[in-house]
Amino acid sequence: MAAEISDRVREIAEARGLPESEVFERALERGLEDLWEDLVLARYLDGELDREEAIERVGRTKVERAERERTVVEEDVDWGLNA
Amino acid sequence: MLAAVPDAGPVIHLAEIDSLDLLSVFDTLLVPETVYREVEAGGVPDALSDIPYERVEADERHVETEELDAGERAAIAVAKEHEVVLLTDDLVAREAASDVGVEVHGSIGVIALGCGRGLIERGEAASLMRALQRETSLFVTDAVVERGIQLLDEQ
Repeated sequence: MAAEISDRVREIAEARGLPESEVFERALERGLEDLWEDLVLARYLDGELDREEAIERVGRTKVERAERERTVVEEDVDWGLNA
Repeated sequence: MLAAVPDAGPVIHLAEIDSLDLLSVFDTLLVPETVYREVEAGGVPDALSDIPYERVEADERHVETEELDAGERAAIAVAKEHEVVLLTDDLVAREAASDVGVEVHGSIGVIALGCGRGLIERGEAASLMRALQRETSLFVTDAVVERGIQLLDEQ
């Protein structure tokens, strides 16, 4: 995995004409953004954050998508355990 | 009797977490030819040969949603014709199926079903749900999977 990451970083850096350090920096930013969105949505779904605040932080599309997914997962688990 | 027809999604996603055998929980499993060909394009998972299933032709003329691919349309058509559960992980296909009165569930439902029928323990079901989110091409929000696991524990 480590070798694969190094290879990818090198290939991206060469293709984009960037120093490898900047590729790492951008990867960290993107990864952090994903983790942040997960945290906001988890807090919203757990009732710790209200809907408007969640929308303000991650956008309406992601909140609405999470709501649809939640409904689907709840239906599926309920069906699976009781079918 | 529990009968189902999957589109390619659940077959691929369950294979990706080495849990295709959970589909054996269904008494009858129908696989439309179109869906089989879609799965075949990526390489038929070895575990599929261990599951009893019947390949069927679908009459897709009554499923006109252009947003769906051929396999999804075929699976909905078979589900409607045979009055069986549709298995899909695609939200649009799920809504289209519900709109025509088809009962529909996804890979997470299959895992919960395996748990409910005693094929796997709750702890394993939770691990598989997390693996489904982290290790497969299925897109589902991390927090939503955790909500599903929480429900497993509550019931």
